[in-house]
Amino acid sequence: MAAIPDGIVLKRHRDLEGRRNHAWVRRALIVLVGLVPLLALFNLFGQRPHLATAQSAHADLELYAPGQLRGGLLWEARFTITAHRDLKDARLELDKGWLEGMTANTIEPSPVGEGSHDGKLVLDLGHVPAGRRYVLFMQFQVNPTNVGRRSQNVRLYDGETFLTTIHRRVTVFP
Amino acid sequence: MDLAIRAVALFGFVYLLTRIIGRRELSSMEPFDLILLIVVGDAIQQGLTQDDYSVTGALIVIGTFAVLQILISYLSYRFPRLRPALDGEPMVVVQDGKAIEKNMKRERITLEEVMVEARLQQVASLDQIAWAVLETSGKISIIPKQ
Repeated sequence: MAAIPDGIVLKRHRDLEGRRNHAWVRRALIVLVGLVPLLALFNLFGQRPHLATAQSAHADLELYAPGQLRGGLLWEARFTITAHRDLKDARLELDKGWLEGMTANTIEPSPVGEGSHDGKLVLDLGHVPAGRRYVLFMQFQVNPTNVGRRSQNVRLYDGETFLTTIHRRVTVFP
Repeated sequence: MDLAIRAVALFGFVYLLTRIIGRRELSSMEPFDLILLIVVGDAIQQGLTQDDYSVTGALIVIGTFAVLQILISYLSYRFPRLRPALDGEPMVVVQDGKAIEKNMKRERITLEEVMVEARLQQVASLDQIAWAVLETSGKISIIPKQ
């Protein structure tokens, strides 16, 4: 047998004594790394939108928006109000989580008015006739430092009369 | 603060990747690997600095990387027991002209790859190899028979 090179210990470096479980550790870590894109396929890290609905006798409210986001993403929320009776002054009240750490790029169509109620954003949408639908698009970008879970509840009012609400939370991944 | 945390997270992830991907894959740079490397670098950069184009941001990120790199190097030097985990260990893949199949299989090395390295080191056949050792860098050292 040729002389063993310096620094090589045959038991350790040829027979792999004490290293047998290393391969399994490595395989486990590979599985762990592979798990991330696999979970991403199941929308765990966003940004596939999903539909949330709330009904009332006067109007239905639908929200189509992603519940999971990542820093820097551009995303859209679509609100649909279906009036069962005349809404004289439809208002959407949005939790702080809608705008905190988010850049609102656009709101279309522009609300008739905007305001604040108890720290929440109020969008005054105006008149929605009975049997008609009102669709509002809001487009955002997630600020990179906005990480964590935030409440994004939405309430629908007709003037000062509460009609219905959608409860939701958004998770922002780094 | 956010940048430093992101830098630590990505440094840890990239370090972990380099430890688990396999040494040969990292040491041999085929054209596709080179392109992949650039794409990975770009993806890391975007996740790291995102919309921060400032010099301060760059200083934070580079500084964090430098500190972590020095820390790993220090830990590896100061605590030899950590070395196998941090740097890996060499592995004998050929002894006295005979391939050690189980070791080659473990690192996904083919005999052809060993022979490429052998030829690069002026060794023409497997019989002439006394030792072939897969080093921690991913290179294969060939020690010919005397």
